[in-house]
Amino acid sequence: MSDLSKIPIHTEKHAPEEARTNPLAGVFDELVRFAQSRSMYMLHYCTGCGAIELPPAMTSRFDMERLGIQPMVTPRQADILLVTGYVSVKTLKRIILTYEQMPSPKYVIGICSCTVNGGMYWQSYATAKKLSEYLPVDLYIAGCMPRPEAVIEGMRALMANIQSGETEPWKDYYQRYDYYLGNQQHLFGDNWQTPTDVIGQAQHYGLAGPETEGEHTRILQQYQQPLVAHKLRLK
Amino acid sequence: MEIGKRIADIILMPIVAFVIGLFMVLMLRKIAAKLQRRVGPPFFQPLIDIIKFYSKTTQVSHGLLHDIGIIMAVGGYLAAESLLPVPGMDGLSDKGGIITLTYFLMIPSLGLALGVGQCANPNGSIGISRALTAMLAYDIPFVIVIFGVAWHYGTTDLSEMISLQQAQGWGAFEMPLLALAGLFALQGMMGKQPFEIYVAPAEIATGPMVEMGGKYMGGLFVMQCFQLYTAGVLYTTLFLGGGTHWLDFLIKIFAVVAIPMMIAFTFPRYRTEDMLRLMWKWPVLAGLLGIAFVMY
Repeated sequence: MSDLSKIPIHTEKHAPEEARTNPLAGVFDELVRFAQSRSMYMLHYCTGCGAIELPPAMTSRFDMERLGIQPMVTPRQADILLVTGYVSVKTLKRIILTYEQMPSPKYVIGICSCTVNGGMYWQSYATAKKLSEYLPVDLYIAGCMPRPEAVIEGMRALMANIQSGETEPWKDYYQRYDYYLGNQQHLFGDNWQTPTDVIGQAQHYGLAGPETEGEHTRILQQYQQPLVAHKLRLK
Repeated sequence: MEIGKRIADIILMPIVAFVIGLFMVLMLRKIAAKLQRRVGPPFFQPLIDIIKFYSKTTQVSHGLLHDIGIIMAVGGYLAAESLLPVPGMDGLSDKGGIITLTYFLMIPSLGLALGVGQCANPNGSIGISRALTAMLAYDIPFVIVIFGVAWHYGTTDLSEMISLQQAQGWGAFEMPLLALAGLFALQGMMGKQPFEIYVAPAEIATGPMVEMGGKYMGGLFVMQCFQLYTAGVLYTTLFLGGGTHWLDFLIKIFAVVAIPMMIAFTFPRYRTEDMLRLMWKWPVLAGLLGIAFVMY
């Protein structure tokens, strides 16, 4: 066995934040984090069997609304993307489109074993195995399928993470876009593109890192076609 | 002194409206939860939701009209609040009157239509066209009710109506048919369940709100607070004699808003054309009969 201490450890340091002059800035940040953790609108992308566990978690038996969690139907208003089950290659395209339309801070939860490692679809040629290779997943809720208690337990863990401000994987998507795009291109082919300008957003919000752009984003720019509005035609 | 009081009223009234509106949203969600045998949201949930939406990092704007639409939606109600007399604060109610108020109440829907139009999302366009049709449906009985009440009291001044009602008795007892038609129109105006096809979450992804995220949605949440408050206060002023002091005023407006909520969460929804048919038949009929009784 190789010596564990020889494995190189890569630590990333957070960029020092700009000096904040407002004495109440800390209090304000805490309030915002509290609000973000206590008000979570979830977009449940029901891909598989895990979806069946969500209605009991939302309705009278377990009632997620007492924790401030509500279902929302459009990505523009959602905070959490719930992927509940196996992700086929075709589905994954839609999930990525949906994820990129959500306003950050945004969180992804993978429910069921299938999102962790492919689960019982491990040998399927048409199924994406690990969701976290394509999207920055905050939390996995393993199980086949996890019961509503487990789903709520996972939500509470996410709440604690948001409130402490420790984990912010949504920034990772902007900072290491090249890595995620590479995995996406590996699955969908080189001409894969989405309508959302992720690099532009990363630069606009100051989240661009050294790994935002790379060889895969160059491939993207090579194949990228400008978005054209469909012509309205009446037959 | 007079000017100072007016300016203070204009600043204070929307703030009071917003705070009361937050409680109304809480009540709405609690009633829904109780009817479905759930616990429901915590006490500060409506405020927390608004803070969360305003703290979003990414803001997706679809253009200038999209921004202006939200400002019109909130601004229309902000202007309307200064025309609604509450105990101790009259604001501009003696200058504006009920006709100006009726116009102000249409601004939010039109602003939203402008904003949603620029989003170019087909779901949004379907939603807002349904919303404007719904506005056409409930505005006819609403205008009839307003006309009848104004005719009965011989004035369009809301604070004068209140003092007249406190002298002669509530409008709901003098004009029961108009009060009934008004309650019907109120249900449509709040966009609650039998008449909420234009939001239709599962089919057209909440309709007009489909492209609103972050601060835009926060603005719409603020608008919802104002909307509930305005509906409650307007009905109380027209039919329940306004308020002599804050306690009975608050009881009245919360009761008025609670009635449509109770009806709402036990009903499925009507299609747009059915809503139009229903709204132009029964409340209009009741309203016209009510006017006939008031006139003769």
